[in-house]
Amino acid sequence: MKEMKQNNFEEKLQAELAQLPKEISPQRDLWSGIDKAINQNAAVATKTSPKKVFMPTAWAASVVAAVLLTWLTLSPEQSTTDQTINLASAMQQDFEQQKQIMLVNFGTPDIKQLPIAMQTELIKLSSAQKTISKALADDPNNSDLLNLLRWTQQQELELLKQLYSPQWQNI
Amino acid sequence: MDKLKIIDANEHFNPDLESQWIARAQQGDQKAFHHLYENYHRRIYALCWRMMADKDSAEDVCQEVFVQLWQKISNFRGESKFSTWLHSVASNIVLGHIRKNKTWLQRIFSIEEQTVEDATVEMPDCSNLDKKIQKLPERARLVFVLFAIEGYRHEEIATMLDMAVGTSKAQYHRARGLLRESLSE
Repeated sequence: MKEMKQNNFEEKLQAELAQLPKEISPQRDLWSGIDKAINQNAAVATKTSPKKVFMPTAWAASVVAAVLLTWLTLSPEQSTTDQTINLASAMQQDFEQQKQIMLVNFGTPDIKQLPIAMQTELIKLSSAQKTISKALADDPNNSDLLNLLRWTQQQELELLKQLYSPQWQNI
Repeated sequence: MDKLKIIDANEHFNPDLESQWIARAQQGDQKAFHHLYENYHRRIYALCWRMMADKDSAEDVCQEVFVQLWQKISNFRGESKFSTWLHSVASNIVLGHIRKNKTWLQRIFSIEEQTVEDATVEMPDCSNLDKKIQKLPERARLVFVLFAIEGYRHEEIATMLDMAVGTSKAQYHRARGLLRESLSE
């Protein structure tokens, strides 16, 4: 700091104050501790390797396919309720928004850069969501389908999270 | 699979998006809360670090701020800007932490904190002014940070620090005097 004259001290102080950084990065990762604290009552999440991620996802996609096949075979009654269609549509919109936020947070990664096997899992989940949404248009009151839709959406978000999220350091 | 929509990076700081994160965090959505953390933790850490003059304590208290924020976020009603409300919550948590860590002797006799000469703080890379602020005695530093950097009024600072308004003003002038001396060295 250069020598300061007393008469212009105030001006220089104000100038230096204006230049102070509003943000300072902590030297260690703080989120892991916060995450642990807010989840202390929740079950400890198990760390899964990328290979392990596929097993439940593939299983999930198979269950979705089986349930849909059964449902389509049984041909349920057709009744239209705009409210329920809107609910499904709102769920899908909300899901798309969450996915976009998550991807932006991960630096908008290119899904096409993922290995083919991972891309296939994501495509399966997305296609299952489309089929469920189509089925919901015919049977909007079917709560099982709504639950199934929500579940596939969650699976996709979890998969993206596990593929892209950085591994938080432990305190 | 649907083609992914590309979002402009600025959308990350969109106030509408922030409102959505707040609303979701209030409903228990931890992902939304993490977005809020990502957006604000550097500002809150800066506040904690300047007030506490200690890197490690500031990191601990910054964590405490966000843990308490998770528990209290439903109290945010949107009557002020979220950032203003969060800074207020953070300032009070920092002050609570400082009070809690005072020795019984300091509490009873209001013994003045570290002197400029005594101050031994571990500081990361920071501006010269920040270094000088860190070496101010505790009460002068707290008043200076809250008034000159955080923009609180002396009336508010007096309430927060449980002191008279005149004392807050006196501590601010004291801080300025000490800064003038140390900056002209």
